[in-house]
Amino acid sequence: MDDSYIYVIVALLPLAALILTVQVNPYHALVIRGILGAVSALVYAVLGAADVALTEALVGTMLAITLYAVAVRSSLVMRLGVLKDSLLEAEQKLELALNDAQVSQRSFADLVADLRTIVSQYHLRLELIPYPDPQSLHQALMAKEIHATCIQRSPQDEASIPQSNSQPYHTTTRIHRLYKILQTEPLAPMTSLDYITALDSAEKH
Amino acid sequence: MNLVLIIMILALLIPIYEAWQDDDIWQKMLAFASIATKTSVMILVVSVLRDDWMIGVVGVIILSVGNAGLMLLAHIIKRMGEL
Repeated sequence: MDDSYIYVIVALLPLAALILTVQVNPYHALVIRGILGAVSALVYAVLGAADVALTEALVGTMLAITLYAVAVRSSLVMRLGVLKDSLLEAEQKLELALNDAQVSQRSFADLVADLRTIVSQYHLRLELIPYPDPQSLHQALMAKEIHATCIQRSPQDEASIPQSNSQPYHTTTRIHRLYKILQTEPLAPMTSLDYITALDSAEKH
Repeated sequence: MNLVLIIMILALLIPIYEAWQDDDIWQKMLAFASIATKTSVMILVVSVLRDDWMIGVVGVIILSVGNAGLMLLAHIIKRMGEL
């Protein structure tokens, strides 16, 4: 029996693995992992290992990819705590901006859109979590419920620091890597940036 | 009959190239669907060539289950785009 096609089929496996290793985006890598699973199931079946092929297709391709997709989706996220009022205001501004262009000063919605583009370069999602007042916002940051907070400066704050007039918002983060990322990006006209350390004792679970 | 399989392998290389080059996640998903179906049809062809029912049953199961996994992954990616 002439089985020369087997060599060609087996050569597909390292090809798919090579494509998988050069992926940068985690979601793209998941899809390519599915392709690798399909190709390896083919190779196993052609080489006569039907049980291994079945296991690869059921566990390796279906279950593992679904679980990894859930894990990647819930871990690659930047949770930004905001005040309830500014979130409502941002949604209204967004609706207004659609039909008239009178929004002269750059609004909260613009800041959120800027942040979203910046973190999406690092394959992160931006999740806005509303809190009723600044105290609970700070508490949530300390309790590690959120990664960063973004609040509007109060009027007395602006009076005490003269140069803050050009920066209507104040962002605080407890993740050093996020601080580095946001520092290098051109957010400066919109918000000032701060880094604080949250104590580890709060995390017991 | 080997010629048929060689042609199918060459056809399999087209979606692999597409999955490698295209940056759109939905294009990659399309290529994944294409590859999953092509590989299971190739398993079926091999099983018929060898007259091996064990491989044939595995090919049928992979053909149906691969699509189910694709649907699950597509739903999660779609939810990611909405949020």
